[in-house]
Amino acid sequence: MVRKYIALLRMKYIEMLAYRLATFVWMTGAITQPLITMFVWMNIHPEESESFLFYFMAVIFVERMTSAWDVWELDREIREGTFSNLLLRPLHPIHWAIAENIVYKWLFLVILVPVWMVGAVYWPALRPHMTGSQIGWFLGAVVLGAALRFLLSYSCGLLAFWVTKVAAVYGVIDVISLFLSGRIAPLEMLPPQLREWSEWLPFRYMISFPIEIATGAVRAEELVRGFAIAAGWLFVLAAVLQWLWKAGMKKNQAVGG
Amino acid sequence: MRRYGRVFREFFRACFVEEMEYRSEFFGNFAASFFGVGMALLTVHIFFYQTDDLGGWTYAEMLVLLGIFNMLRGFIDFALRPNMPRLLEHVRRGTLDYILTKPVDSMFYVSFRHLVFWRLIDVALGLGVIGYGLYIERYVPSAVDVLMFLVVMAASLLLIYSLWMMLMTTSFWVVRIDDLSFIFDSFFETARFPGSMYRGAVRMVITYVLPAVLITNTPALALLGKWSVSTVLAALAVAILFLWLARRFWRFALRFYTGAGG
Repeated sequence: MVRKYIALLRMKYIEMLAYRLATFVWMTGAITQPLITMFVWMNIHPEESESFLFYFMAVIFVERMTSAWDVWELDREIREGTFSNLLLRPLHPIHWAIAENIVYKWLFLVILVPVWMVGAVYWPALRPHMTGSQIGWFLGAVVLGAALRFLLSYSCGLLAFWVTKVAAVYGVIDVISLFLSGRIAPLEMLPPQLREWSEWLPFRYMISFPIEIATGAVRAEELVRGFAIAAGWLFVLAAVLQWLWKAGMKKNQAVGG
Repeated sequence: MRRYGRVFREFFRACFVEEMEYRSEFFGNFAASFFGVGMALLTVHIFFYQTDDLGGWTYAEMLVLLGIFNMLRGFIDFALRPNMPRLLEHVRRGTLDYILTKPVDSMFYVSFRHLVFWRLIDVALGLGVIGYGLYIERYVPSAVDVLMFLVVMAASLLLIYSLWMMLMTTSFWVVRIDDLSFIFDSFFETARFPGSMYRGAVRMVITYVLPAVLITNTPALALLGKWSVSTVLAALAVAILFLWLARRFWRFALRFYTGAGG
């Protein structure tokens, strides 16, 4: 399995290098929305400008590290029938997607961390104040968030076996997650009702939760609870994905047969 | 000019017939537009949950601005966006030859041939949001306000068209078109908010270099009765300048195009 993964990673790496410009545009792409939102919040509470700067830069970073594009890939592959190529290979197609995610996110990490470090030299507000265990929890939360988003995106993509407008369905989920994952506002700024919702839904754990850990907004007992809820969603989404996969395979044969 | 009116009507009719084949999608699209506007309203609501003034604009004024943003985006999605990928295809396959040999202006043809009608829902919803904003503000625009609004709105549409056209023209050199419209969207997203909200270099760029602020803010201010003759004239001048630039750029790009046989 390890050797297979090494081969997969190498392939995906080469593929990525072939589309350098697209990769670059892609990485810079998700920046405008958080930046504009940051300007809005700096206007509303000018005295907290520095913490908003840290928060929204962290949003850009975590959002990139946890981003998931599999729904569009699957939608296209299933619709155009090229998904069958992947099915014929002796490895579950999900491994291709996982390898691709690892490669791209590794690249994002390698580029974004130095950028952050240079930024921190000029803007003291960007310097994180984290203890060793905080860093550990932060990294764990980022990985968990990436896994959650990946599972959600992949499950939605599998819906393409049944419906044609999967991208639209995911679009709706994504807009809802804008609010509940902390991209429109730090969750503490939300009206209390939305805030309560955000704690029980998976979206918070995709972006906001790691940042809350980094800024020290989460206390010890909340930390455990947060990880428990996130892990719960991880199991739910994994189960959904597995079920969709099985049902989808039956459906797929029917179409091809 | 009359001829172009007739050609445009013909495009309109052809696309309408095409769209009628997909009537079942109408409700889905309608729901999607409603959802989009609802979420935009919720966003403004969340911001104003913490404050009652954003860059000097009140909640009601922000709604008017949001309505105008939505309308303009509706127009973009109606007439401009559907044509972008097609121009790319034409350039890539060399079928642009057929357009160049047609007895209509090529820039006019490539930018308006395909229209997506259901996007006009966004224009209607934008109007609704504007009306709601004015209602909360308790402001009834005078006839002069409306006239000024129509003038700056026309200038904004020209500006958007010019900027979009310039971006689209780069497809003679750049191949990944979906990334290109993405660039426009990122830029246009800044127009959702008052220009006075931004700071420093960002503010300079979106006010003077790429006048995103001009595009949405001036029509909103005109409708709220806060116009001045000088800003209206400036908006018109900038629009004409950009249209001229876009035209020049298109001509320039065509010289690089070698066609299918070349």
